[in-house]
Amino acid sequence: MTSPAVLACRGLGARYGASTALADVTLEVGASQMVGVVGANGAGKSTLVNALAGWSRGRPVTTGEVWLDGEPMAGVSAHERARRGLVLVPEGKGVFQELTVEENLGLVRPVADPAGRHVWTRDDVLGLFPRLGERRRHRGGALSGGERQMLALARALLAAPRVLVLDEPSIGLAPRLVLDLLVTVRRLVDRGLSVLLVEQNVRAAFEVVDRVFLLERGRVVGHGATDAMRGDPRIVEAYLGALVP
Amino acid sequence: MNVAQQLINGLALASGYACVAIGWTVLLGAARLVNFAHGQLYMLGAFVAWAAMHRAGLPYWASIPVAVAAVGLLGAAMQRLMGRLMLEHNLTSLMIVTLGFGYVFQGAAARLFGGEPQTLASPLARGTIRMGELWLSPQDLLVFGVTAALFALIWFVLEKTRVGATVRAVAEDPKLAQLFGIDASLVYLGVFVFEAATVAFAAALVAPRSPILTSMGFDEVILTFVVVVLGGVGSVLGTLAASLGLGLFTAFFGALVSPAYTTAAAFAVVLAVLVLRPGGLAAR
Repeated sequence: MTSPAVLACRGLGARYGASTALADVTLEVGASQMVGVVGANGAGKSTLVNALAGWSRGRPVTTGEVWLDGEPMAGVSAHERARRGLVLVPEGKGVFQELTVEENLGLVRPVADPAGRHVWTRDDVLGLFPRLGERRRHRGGALSGGERQMLALARALLAAPRVLVLDEPSIGLAPRLVLDLLVTVRRLVDRGLSVLLVEQNVRAAFEVVDRVFLLERGRVVGHGATDAMRGDPRIVEAYLGALVP
Repeated sequence: MNVAQQLINGLALASGYACVAIGWTVLLGAARLVNFAHGQLYMLGAFVAWAAMHRAGLPYWASIPVAVAAVGLLGAAMQRLMGRLMLEHNLTSLMIVTLGFGYVFQGAAARLFGGEPQTLASPLARGTIRMGELWLSPQDLLVFGVTAALFALIWFVLEKTRVGATVRAVAEDPKLAQLFGIDASLVYLGVFVFEAATVAFAAALVAPRSPILTSMGFDEVILTFVVVVLGGVGSVLGTLAASLGLGLFTAFFGALVSPAYTTAAAFAVVLAVLVLRPGGLAAR
């Protein structure tokens, strides 16, 4: 398949033993596009992004195909996908607790071939998150939840992503920080970055994404442009409720 | 008792303990892996150096890189066979599997090198440096100098360089490291080869002090385990301090009480320290 999408998957599935966590998922993230994946707890959102990144803390059996900039990712390890620009910030712990902010950022190797990549320098990311500059000698474990998410995002940007995949970046953050963080990401998308966002805070996600995929029990049960999905009865009933006029 | 001489003896013992423990310090301390075949790798290092001298006719100094390369390669082979256990940080299985490797190495060494005691003859082990009533061998001085330099180098690499940060990152969370573009299995390979190569290097330097046997290794792995745990897992300087303490204690206890009870007494001290400070000497 030759796809114009930066990130695409077709028929993606994952199971743990006899239990199916993800089945037949097909989606695309276009250039300079922010795509949201929403769904209830246990819907398979994290399994989906982990399968895209070829990464997992468990041992799932995955099926289906993934492409990065039209290049098939079959047989490509998680670390190699990260090096090629498929950069995942996992749910919860996305930074090393025992390493300082500076060391966390220093782990990312400079990209040899920046073609098609969104290259950020150390100064760029510290300009985006000045708080990290003030805390650069502090260990990851000593940072607040918000600072840790900033650090996770900063290291992901230093990896010069072709596409940034964010798994529940709002977890543990105060509501005001959630919107701040998502608006910051949205600004990066407006500068050309492609983002796949998994988010349980559906209201906040709808403020920033271009397209939405609704996941239920491991399957995509609806997708479309954000404005169209805002009226989807399943979204209204389960997530948006009274906010929709 | 000549206190100054016991200090020298203690420092000589300490630098031997520390030299043998260097690889484990990085393996357990930084990468949080275990290798209970460490003692048998020490034995193999000594015997490969001995064979290089007595069977291939190489001089002592040329036998050292031969031992380092041979045992380093063995470490690489071990790592490749245990790659998955390492990535999953399965320490219980690693302990059992590496113990098994130790027994295999011991049997193979007995077959290859025979069961007789041998001497790894270093040209520096025979001489004596005298300062009035005090004395030490040039080999002891060499072990002391090399150990100090190696510990300084390892501390610098682990704490101040990107390579060191990468090793510590993989130790903390090898799965997360993959998302940073780090090939964790390559890091484990490097650490394991380093551990095997440095214990062979240590064997070539320390083994000339006493006869070598293919059945040796158990004492070395226990002593190594003790100084690394006593120093505080994760602390290079803690291991150095623990080696120093253990060496001085052994020398003074042997002179003041009896050499026959030094091992038992040393373990009593280790137990006391770990009861009082479960995280080891370097615990905060």
